[in-house]
Amino acid sequence: MQSAPLPETLANLLELDPNSTVVMIVLSLAGAGLIGTLMMTNTALAGPWAKRKITAAFTDRIAVDRIGPYGLFIIVADAVRLLSKELIVPEGVDRPAWDLAPLIIASTALLGFAVIPMGNGIHLADPEVGLAYVFAVASTTSIGLVMAGYASNNKYSFLGGLRAVAQNLAYEIPLILTGASVVIFAGSLQMSEIVAAQQQSLIGPLPSWYAFVNPFAFVLFMIANLAEVGRNPFDIPEAPTEIVAGYQTEYSSVYFVLIYLGEFIHIFLGGAIIATIFLGGPAGPVLPGIVWFLIKIWGVFLFTQWARSAVPRVRIDQLIEIGWKGMLVLSLANLLLTAVIVGVTV
Amino acid sequence: MSNPWIAIGALAVVAVAIPVTMMAVSSLLRPSVPEQGKRTTYESGEVPTGSSRQIKFNIQYYMVALLFVVFDIETVFIFPWTVIYSDAVAAVGMTKALLPMVVFIGILAVGLGWAWRNGAVQWVRSPRATKGADTYE
Repeated sequence: MQSAPLPETLANLLELDPNSTVVMIVLSLAGAGLIGTLMMTNTALAGPWAKRKITAAFTDRIAVDRIGPYGLFIIVADAVRLLSKELIVPEGVDRPAWDLAPLIIASTALLGFAVIPMGNGIHLADPEVGLAYVFAVASTTSIGLVMAGYASNNKYSFLGGLRAVAQNLAYEIPLILTGASVVIFAGSLQMSEIVAAQQQSLIGPLPSWYAFVNPFAFVLFMIANLAEVGRNPFDIPEAPTEIVAGYQTEYSSVYFVLIYLGEFIHIFLGGAIIATIFLGGPAGPVLPGIVWFLIKIWGVFLFTQWARSAVPRVRIDQLIEIGWKGMLVLSLANLLLTAVIVGVTV
Repeated sequence: MSNPWIAIGALAVVAVAIPVTMMAVSSLLRPSVPEQGKRTTYESGEVPTGSSRQIKFNIQYYMVALLFVVFDIETVFIFPWTVIYSDAVAAVGMTKALLPMVVFIGILAVGLGWAWRNGAVQWVRSPRATKGADTYE
């Protein structure tokens, strides 16, 4: 399973010198382009098409089916439609912040994929602080949300931005603490090490994925992740029935696309983190690693869409209480429990 | 082993380039007809009054935000411990490896309990919002 990061693999493939910095920069850009394209493809499938199809299936309707096979060409139609919409700049917006917010939301979500091992050698970088890095990058999105909420000069946006912060504050710590409990097992923050540590057999054919080793942590992480990506039951930053669309109310055209896209990439990033630290990364029988990786992140995406269709939204005060009185205490307990189990079995 | 941060920096370039390209393409395609009525902010059909940055209201979770700082720094301290934990257990035994962290988390848990009892970890209801409700009871 252990393989060199993508730029080095490319260097070996093209028979270039992996010690030359220029070669590595060029190949890193190529690798980054590949990762970016891969994730944009996933998002393009998920946003305009899969999301509609899934929601329609849940609510007993037929969604997009007019253009192309299974309505797939709606992706092209939507891209052209949204990009060619007029960008309406509302009165009194705080201009640099208002323009930067969509950029931050979209970029930071994409940046997290640098350290995710996707199988078949598609692993852009493997720093020793991998897991800490991915948590740090993923939570930077909050800044974009606050900027969008504040700069829009709209009271609904402002409320949405503030709610987004309240939510991210409440669920960030359970998320990271539960992630830390996995590190106790693996003994490393490096993503490749965490994946490698999950390859032994637990019982019979069942691999020792941390979702099987510590299902409690897995459940906690899934819930905290739902809150982190702002999907039901924790979608109060957007809450269409309460505050229109939250921080994205005043965004149109390409800026709306970027915020929307950023949210979907963020869901996939959450899925990628879950796949890596709980579901054995790209590991799986028969099929190649990248396919398993995609199956796993799409599985998490389906879970968020299922929650979106099936679970009612919690109130903001309930959200704070679930986060601080429930999740935080449970995640501290999980951390200590994991430490005791590892301590006894080592 | 080359420096992994070169690749991460490369992805940062790509991650900025993709949205910027989309913005550029969009700016070539889209019309721009800024009329007066179009540019008002959306307030459920009402004419907006004042700027959203002049309104004053209770940011009800500021106590929680303060707590967050404490716990966020705590996670920074927990991470190195989780990395060396299983090696430490093998080297000095479980008690010596685990007990300091139990004490550390214990102190934080006491702090959380105190904050909890004093009502810091809940959505503060402002007196004005609940005044009407009280009279009905």
